[in-house]
Amino acid sequence: MKEENFLSIIGKHQAHLGGLISILEDIQTEYSYLPEQALRLVAQETGFSLVDIYGVATFYKLFSLKPRGKHLISVCSGTACHVRASSGVVEEFEQRLQINAGETTPDGEITLVTVNCLGACALGPIVVVDGYYFSNVNRQMVGEIIDNARAGIDRVDVDTDERIFPIEVSCPHCNRSLIDKNFYIDGYPSIRVTVSFGRRHGWVRLSCLYGSYSVEQEYEVPIDTIVDFFCPHCHAELSGVSDCTSCGAPMISAFIPGGGVLHICSRRGCKAHMLDLHGASL
Amino acid sequence: MKRLRSIEDFESLQSRIMTDHDAAVPTIVIPAGTCCQASGANDLIRVAKRELLDKKLTDTVRLRITGCQGFCQMEPSVLVEPRGTFYPKVGMKTMARIVEYVARDEVLADELFMSPDTGEQIERQEDIPFFRNQVRTILSRNEKIDPLFIYDYINNQGYSTLAKVFKMADPDWVINEVKVAGLRGRGGAGFPTGLKWEFLANQANGHGKFLVCNADEGDPGAYMDRSVLEGNPHGVIEGMIIGAYATGATGGVIYVRNEYPLAIKHLIIALRQAREVGLLGENILGTGFSFDINLVKGAGAFVCGEETALIRSIEGKTGEPRQRPPFPVQKGIEGKPTAINNVETWANIPIIIEKGAHEFAKIGTENNSGTKIFSLVGKAKYTGLVEVPMGTTIKRIVYEIGGGPVGDARIKAVQTGGPSGGCIPADLFDIPVDYDSLSKAGSIMGSGGMIVMDDNTCMVDIAKYFMNFLKDESCGKCFTCRKGTQRMYEILDDISQGHGTLEQLQLLEELAQVVKDTTMCGLGQTASNPVLSTLRYFREEYLAHIQDQRCPSGVCRALITYSINEKCKGCQLCLDACQQDAISGKKKELHFIDQSKCIKCGACKSVCKLDAIDVV
Amino acid sequence: MINLIINGLPVSVEEGATLLEAARFLGFPIPTLCYIDGLSPYGACRLCVVEIGEGPKAKLVTACTYPAEEGLKVRTASSRVIKARKMILELLLASCPQSKTIQDLAAAHGVRRQRFRQEYEDCILCGLCVRMCEEQMMAKAIGFRGRGQNRSVGTPFDIQSDICRLCGGCMYICPACQLRCTYTEPEKAVCGGCENLSPPCLEKEQFDDMMCYMDPCVACEITKD
Repeated sequence: MKEENFLSIIGKHQAHLGGLISILEDIQTEYSYLPEQALRLVAQETGFSLVDIYGVATFYKLFSLKPRGKHLISVCSGTACHVRASSGVVEEFEQRLQINAGETTPDGEITLVTVNCLGACALGPIVVVDGYYFSNVNRQMVGEIIDNARAGIDRVDVDTDERIFPIEVSCPHCNRSLIDKNFYIDGYPSIRVTVSFGRRHGWVRLSCLYGSYSVEQEYEVPIDTIVDFFCPHCHAELSGVSDCTSCGAPMISAFIPGGGVLHICSRRGCKAHMLDLHGASL
Repeated sequence: MKRLRSIEDFESLQSRIMTDHDAAVPTIVIPAGTCCQASGANDLIRVAKRELLDKKLTDTVRLRITGCQGFCQMEPSVLVEPRGTFYPKVGMKTMARIVEYVARDEVLADELFMSPDTGEQIERQEDIPFFRNQVRTILSRNEKIDPLFIYDYINNQGYSTLAKVFKMADPDWVINEVKVAGLRGRGGAGFPTGLKWEFLANQANGHGKFLVCNADEGDPGAYMDRSVLEGNPHGVIEGMIIGAYATGATGGVIYVRNEYPLAIKHLIIALRQAREVGLLGENILGTGFSFDINLVKGAGAFVCGEETALIRSIEGKTGEPRQRPPFPVQKGIEGKPTAINNVETWANIPIIIEKGAHEFAKIGTENNSGTKIFSLVGKAKYTGLVEVPMGTTIKRIVYEIGGGPVGDARIKAVQTGGPSGGCIPADLFDIPVDYDSLSKAGSIMGSGGMIVMDDNTCMVDIAKYFMNFLKDESCGKCFTCRKGTQRMYEILDDISQGHGTLEQLQLLEELAQVVKDTTMCGLGQTASNPVLSTLRYFREEYLAHIQDQRCPSGVCRALITYSINEKCKGCQLCLDACQQDAISGKKKELHFIDQSKCIKCGACKSVCKLDAIDVV
Repeated sequence: MINLIINGLPVSVEEGATLLEAARFLGFPIPTLCYIDGLSPYGACRLCVVEIGEGPKAKLVTACTYPAEEGLKVRTASSRVIKARKMILELLLASCPQSKTIQDLAAAHGVRRQRFRQEYEDCILCGLCVRMCEEQMMAKAIGFRGRGQNRSVGTPFDIQSDICRLCGGCMYICPACQLRCTYTEPEKAVCGGCENLSPPCLEKEQFDDMMCYMDPCVACEITKD
């Protein structure tokens, strides 16, 4: 927990409308709770009194003053979910996790919360695990959802999952294929690009399976670093036109022979990507 | 994206996009709003992309990812244009087949929607009763637009009403159109939008004015705003720019609740694209008019849907409402004049300008013009978003669109207006849904939640549920709201436990009236509605709890017992499901519930396939 | 100047004046709990509600925060107002039975019993201490935390604040701490103050010659009934 991190978050929002809440939201997203040290720093930097900041931090349900678990399970208790027995689902989670709603398991793995409405009322009861939605949940599904949460919700099995498929990509500048037939990842030829970050310059090979995040690299790129991508043939930068909707880093793009553009976020660790089949025409 | 520098620039771009677009190309439309994703739309998208690439169809078949289309019960669904074929509850294997059939311009007959009444298959979306009985002026736009691409919106006449307004160059005309259209605020109270704009326009413009889009849809059970923001963010943005032009507002804010990550994502993209194209920011389309919109995220507080609390929240403070007057339109964000409208209200603005005020006013009834989106949820056969002209009867919405009850149950009420609303009993289902009729019936329109309740829903439990909600969500400033909701909950809890008395019922009624009278903001003033309306229409259920110690709907745990009847074949499903080890019995023999261990969680009943568990 | 009518009497007040100020100017009593001269009005306790407007649009507002408006018709003691005040006092008694201030107010308004489950929360979150700390002591050491049923007053993180000078202003102004009802079972007594005399006036032979200043005295009223 570094002071600079907090300071950069504070600096980003200070001048904006709703600045204080945005600052707290970002700290909450980053650390999953609001550390005392951070709130004191916010008071010092923004000129808001600590009493007011603490008041805001305890007023809104989003904020937590206690560290949350690695995984967040939110059970919707909106009216539509309630009439379809969501309270039983909450109870089942509480029994199985041996905690009450609002608490975190002693091993720090799972935090269970109830939320007022997630806006998917026609499909209630709704449960959201780390951003992944489960619909029409009943008591019997709870055990499996917990297992899923513990295992990591976006874990995919590249061998059997039919949502995963190989794609071919080429450089938008020289049109040569970026597929490296001599280097296999996930059992398929990999995508080879050159990256640079800091003063390092080296190759990175990505899985060509859409939906797999497997990657091998010449130099270990630290998490959260934004790297520049280049074509290994013509050395042109694979810059894109848009920014990542999840983290705001630039997206890089590569062509898909046959039509379409693949956008990948240039930030290491960010899993945002988009396969736009008709993007080339715009 | 190239920045547009004049209205002509925009028009030539629009006509170019529209001529380039060939509507005859078969297009697979996959709605992927939050609810669609919850039921697996993302998987369908991947499979569709895989198949299109694999079969080299990317040139012949188009794929469009859109926001929610409203038939949530049948999600994930797929629509094929231009035929209008609708496939409900599509699985990944079916998706692959659909791609194959679309490429051949054929219909995959065995996966079509089947009418449960007639058993016949219905191919086209617009022929399905759920869709046929609606008037979808706002929602129909969702299926046409990929919200991630502004050009897709422009291709569908998007921003052309803005261009029209700019050409007209008469802000008063816009306000007048909105007034003549008779549009009333869709957030709940139904204040005439044109009038609100006029107030704002008349405020001195010394230090700036604000327009706010209230997307803090806190009403549990309502999600039309989420759907509109996810599916058609530019519609709202266009409405706001028109509003700003009419009222002279200099800044805009969209306040979205944090529980809607996808809506936030789509809005961020839409705002960025609108800025890049030159439809937001300085000197929009070369007209000299400047306006920009900020996105402010809520942090989870129902009370922030109240105007003055929302303003405080936008300013970064706790969401405590304040005394009105002064009204926000006099003193709002940072003390500047501010007009706040709901998402759906903003989405109606381009429609009014496009159709013309008089045409718009013809939809619905007098004093209640236009359409209204309801989220029809709960115990109806077909749940989802329903858009109907104002003044449509509840019966039509629940039975003709929603398909009536699930199974053999009997529908006994609908709850409208969320925690601020009330329950309307089935014998009043002939009343038209408009602001005035609903409030006469003791409920409110609210943002449009419509929760269907059948005879398995206990009205005492519903009132208790809302009080539990409100005692948490009250900001806590007004003593009567904070303590009143707690005390009402306490009494309702006593009643649901079977220790209620008739004196308490009397006290509950008195208290409810005082809470309604003495609190400051809309949340408190309507907090008693769930109690008062259930007392008004379902007093006999309260009396059953108090006098007979009985919960007629089999919900209140303290008053019910679970037992196993002779239908039991000893399959042991319930025995395994019971976490309390309260069920005993040998395989293939009648099972037995030990009442001393039973916590009445209902797990046994939910697994029993033979209807062998009685609740009395 | 703004002209309005309170209980049928016309009155002119300066712009920005509240209904409470206008009513008090005319001498109409309006009970208050969270309002004190010198601190900004807050409108938390709702005790000062008055009825404004006419017909179906008539509504109750707090006199301490509502600004006087031209032509407004105000009723400070309509049956609707009295009913609301009594219920508020009953709720206050149920949360904080030992406050002599609340006991006295309840007695003065003819509240004889309290029908809710008795609690001993004491703090009624009127916010006087918070405003005292900020506005008079210029400290801002305490504030509101949480919302709804979890709302409370205190310092951030519940630890000794480095801003607090221990001036005691918060305790001085608190209607719950400042005067305590000394009757042994305060929850049973809506005593109007007499129970706090020693010996209490219920032992009436000792008070035969004493002029009682309690008006109305609940004990006497009950005996009369």
